[in-house]
Amino acid sequence: MTSTPIPPATPSAAHGAGHHASHNLTGFIIFLCSESVIFLAFFSGYAILRQAALNWLPPGVEGLEWRMPLINTIVLVSSSLTMVAAEHFKEKEQLWLFRGFWLLTMAMGAYFLYGQAVEWGGLKFGLTSGTFGATFYLLTGFHGLHVATGVLLMGLMLVKSFIPGNYNGGEEGLKATSLFWHFVDVIWIILFVLLYVWRT
Amino acid sequence: MTSTALFPQPPASWRRYFGFSTDAKVIGIQYIVVSFFFFLVAGLLAMIIRGELLTPAADLVDRTVYNGLYTMHGTIMLFLFIFPVLNGLNNLLIPTMIGAPDMAFPRLNTAAFWMVPVFGLLLIASFFVPSGPASAGWWSYPPVSLQNPLGHLISGEFLWVLAVALSGVSSILGAVNFVTTILRMRAPGMGFFRMPVFCWTALAAQSLQLIGLPALTGGAVMLLMDLTLGTSFYRPEGGGDPVLYQHFFWFYSHPAVYVIILPVFGIFSELFPVYSRKPLFGYVYVALASFIIVGLGLIVWVHHMFPSGVAQWMRNLFMVTTMLIAVPTGVKVFAWLGTMWRGKIKLTTPMLFCIGGLINFVFAGITGVMLATVPVDIHVSNTYFVVGHFHYVIYGAAVMGIFAAIYHWFPKFTGRMPYEGLGKLHFVLTFLGANLNFLPMHPLGLMGMPRRVSSYDPEFAFWNVLASLGAFLLGVSIIPFLLNMISSWVRGPRATHNPWNAIGLEWLLPSPPPEDNFGEHVPTVISPPYGYGKNEPLVEHQAEIERALTLAEATQ
Amino acid sequence: MSSSSPNRRLGGIPLIALGLWIGLVMAISIWMAGQAQHWLPVQASNAAPLVDGLFRFETGVGTFVFLGVVSVMAWTMLVHRAEKYDESDAEPIEGNTRLEVIWTVIPLVLVMAIAWYAIQVNTELGVLGPMEHIHPRNAQEELGGYPGDRLPPEQVEVIARQWSWEFRYPGRNVSSTELHLELDRPVTFRLVSEDVLHGFYIPAFRLKQDVIPGRAIDFTLTPTRLGRYRLRDSQFSGTWFAANQADVVVESAEDHASWLKQGAAAPLQSGLSPAVGEYAERQTAGRGGWPTVVPAPPPQVNVPGSSSLPHDA
Repeated sequence: MTSTPIPPATPSAAHGAGHHASHNLTGFIIFLCSESVIFLAFFSGYAILRQAALNWLPPGVEGLEWRMPLINTIVLVSSSLTMVAAEHFKEKEQLWLFRGFWLLTMAMGAYFLYGQAVEWGGLKFGLTSGTFGATFYLLTGFHGLHVATGVLLMGLMLVKSFIPGNYNGGEEGLKATSLFWHFVDVIWIILFVLLYVWRT
Repeated sequence: MTSTALFPQPPASWRRYFGFSTDAKVIGIQYIVVSFFFFLVAGLLAMIIRGELLTPAADLVDRTVYNGLYTMHGTIMLFLFIFPVLNGLNNLLIPTMIGAPDMAFPRLNTAAFWMVPVFGLLLIASFFVPSGPASAGWWSYPPVSLQNPLGHLISGEFLWVLAVALSGVSSILGAVNFVTTILRMRAPGMGFFRMPVFCWTALAAQSLQLIGLPALTGGAVMLLMDLTLGTSFYRPEGGGDPVLYQHFFWFYSHPAVYVIILPVFGIFSELFPVYSRKPLFGYVYVALASFIIVGLGLIVWVHHMFPSGVAQWMRNLFMVTTMLIAVPTGVKVFAWLGTMWRGKIKLTTPMLFCIGGLINFVFAGITGVMLATVPVDIHVSNTYFVVGHFHYVIYGAAVMGIFAAIYHWFPKFTGRMPYEGLGKLHFVLTFLGANLNFLPMHPLGLMGMPRRVSSYDPEFAFWNVLASLGAFLLGVSIIPFLLNMISSWVRGPRATHNPWNAIGLEWLLPSPPPEDNFGEHVPTVISPPYGYGKNEPLVEHQAEIERALTLAEATQ
Repeated sequence: MSSSSPNRRLGGIPLIALGLWIGLVMAISIWMAGQAQHWLPVQASNAAPLVDGLFRFETGVGTFVFLGVVSVMAWTMLVHRAEKYDESDAEPIEGNTRLEVIWTVIPLVLVMAIAWYAIQVNTELGVLGPMEHIHPRNAQEELGGYPGDRLPPEQVEVIARQWSWEFRYPGRNVSSTELHLELDRPVTFRLVSEDVLHGFYIPAFRLKQDVIPGRAIDFTLTPTRLGRYRLRDSQFSGTWFAANQADVVVESAEDHASWLKQGAAAPLQSGLSPAVGEYAERQTAGRGGWPTVVPAPPPQVNVPGSSSLPHDA
């Protein structure tokens, strides 16, 4: 303002850029924790409706086929490992290996979605087939939406990896995407147990 | 929107208030103005409701209209007034109180705000669709909320669920922002126990939003699917369970009331010290009590469902957890009394609103304990006793606390002083109106008058007439408030950086603060807050900062 | 961190004054507790005295707390007011750990005592039978006509609809839209809904139970006072929710027996349902309003009863 002594610049000024970069990851983690509650809500709704049901399975339905979903599960869980590998190579600055494993992860995620669609196509019950159908499609559909989002985010990160100087401010985007992917993976494991493993 | 007429330009460009500014201080004002617009809309609905309830018969409006009115009154007041106005205060106060230049995610902040007019319009639009607005109460319990006589997809209920879902998203985005900002952007030297209580309670409240809202969203998604896709999550014919919805709904909506009252506790904790010229009594306990309330607040929701058909053991359990919340709440109430005791009390407008709000809050707390005990609750649940209780908390305590905050921080964020006389008049009319409106609801409930009724038995007429008179008085009480806000902002006396001689980082900024608050020159905090009477500076180089501010004001 | 205030012991007169004030507040609280009974309807069931006793106790305690807090605030506003032009600060008292402990422990003990009392009352009410058994409604039951028709004679089936209440006495072949109960005799209701949530609420009895479609809820109480009372729908159920009320008549054993006997002989006719009349009026008058669910036709019952006679509560 006028020529009054200005108090010395504080440490926060020097930290400015670094601070902002790490805020994104903090915010994203907080968001993920919140997101997990909505899955928890759907899980508990499913469990409560299933426990209380007199006739859980709709007429004509014997149960859920579990072999193909098991393969899908193995693919999805492995994709978390390939993602860890990708991040490992990124850390070692071996960008082409990083991109390769990253793309592999994307492909496995896409395969999972394909497998889900095939499973849906072959099912003999619909969304309105009682609470069984409703909860099944809600849970797998909402999860599938997250897988699709994950694949898209990965695609975005892949494209950005070609921009020179992209990682000068840090790798928050990569970290956030990989966190999201692992989250989607864990949710699926719980889902698989609830839907396919839990026998009445 | 009417804000063009209501709020003409301050010295800086007024146009930024109508645009997509990313400055938290602009967004804060936007939130507050938009929310008061909806406050007036929902208040108008309340006037019609109380007009109908002046007489026993349903003779003012058709019953379907009445049901839509009370549903939208509650919905608008909660989702378009109280949550946005509190977010507005968060935007103004959090960065400035902790010495941050802005929120952690400024663009996310803008996005979260602009969702509010969008879902506000959705709700207003629902009055104009053929099936009318949602009319099943702000709870929207199925199966009645799923009844769609016309069978249209775009029904009032559909728009309602959409609006509530969008509101949830907006709130979650806001919560991520507020929590990250408080956790990561405090000034040097400001550890958690040097942080103002308003930030503690904001952190607590926003944590509740993050944990609770997704449960409501989940329940609402299933409701929407039942409504539009023919699923049967809640339809008994299809094997569904209406009570399941109630659990999802209340798992969020109970903590929601703490989301509403915690910031008000923060406001009281900030203002009582200033106007008693004394430190906040037991600051650490007040701060920690906020999080005990968070923990307990998440395990009491079934107390809204005692008559629903939940097992006896569940009722006893949730009764005990509900009673326990009175303890940390009591710690705060006693702390404010302890702050006033042997202070030098100044009965300014903000202080009057705090005192009135506290008195109403203690009354509401007592009826709350009554409601917590199952046998009494079985008698009075879903009656006007509950309506009286929660209006005492929301209007009697929370809204009065919000008014206190507005009068107190008005000089800081507008650069003008509000008029004291109009403020005191506003207080008197509000305190009288609120008590006259909501106290009679208690005998009505005890006598057995259900809530949400468009008509009632003649024996309830006397208290209803009193309540309606109180409501009309409350309607009138808004006039001095609006007049004050407009004329003070336009031509009120200029405010200095610290008209109340208060202690806090926000008071070391000019009034109004520059866009980036302290910018690069964030002072280092060297004392705990509320150091009244201790004669120690809050920050390093405080004397120089004050001198610079005073000099700038003298040369303006 | 917290600096305790210097130990000030109260002198003689202020101590006596404080004691008198506390005594006065206690007296007012006890008086209010007594007054609380007047705010409640007459006691017409065996649950009512239990509920009312708890409420009176809470009113007394609540009054004491409220007056205590308000007294402290009033005192500070009167005695600790800042002088007109005094801008200085007060004593920097930051806290007092002992006080913190006291005002945490005492409220904790108090609320737990109230909770304990309430659990006792709740348990006793539970012994009276409300809400313990919930059977999901079996679609098969529909095949045998009204499932309630197979209930033991002391049971009354209550059917809630949009917008009427039907009461069926299966053992006696009587149905009505006015609930008749025998004085001092326990009665078990079987609550069912044919459409949406309703609330079975009789203020004079102090008891309320939501009626949930898809479930049949058993609910027991004993009426203890002769008279005519109101039953009100307490869970919002749509357009004519407010009009969904019925009368409850508690009568002597002989009167009840003869009512049942006459009812069994009476032909079926339309029972009470104000919604039906209002809906018809609304259609013909063409008054404004939004679309509504059409009211269910009035239940066909032996004894419609009345909804316009004066009621005690």
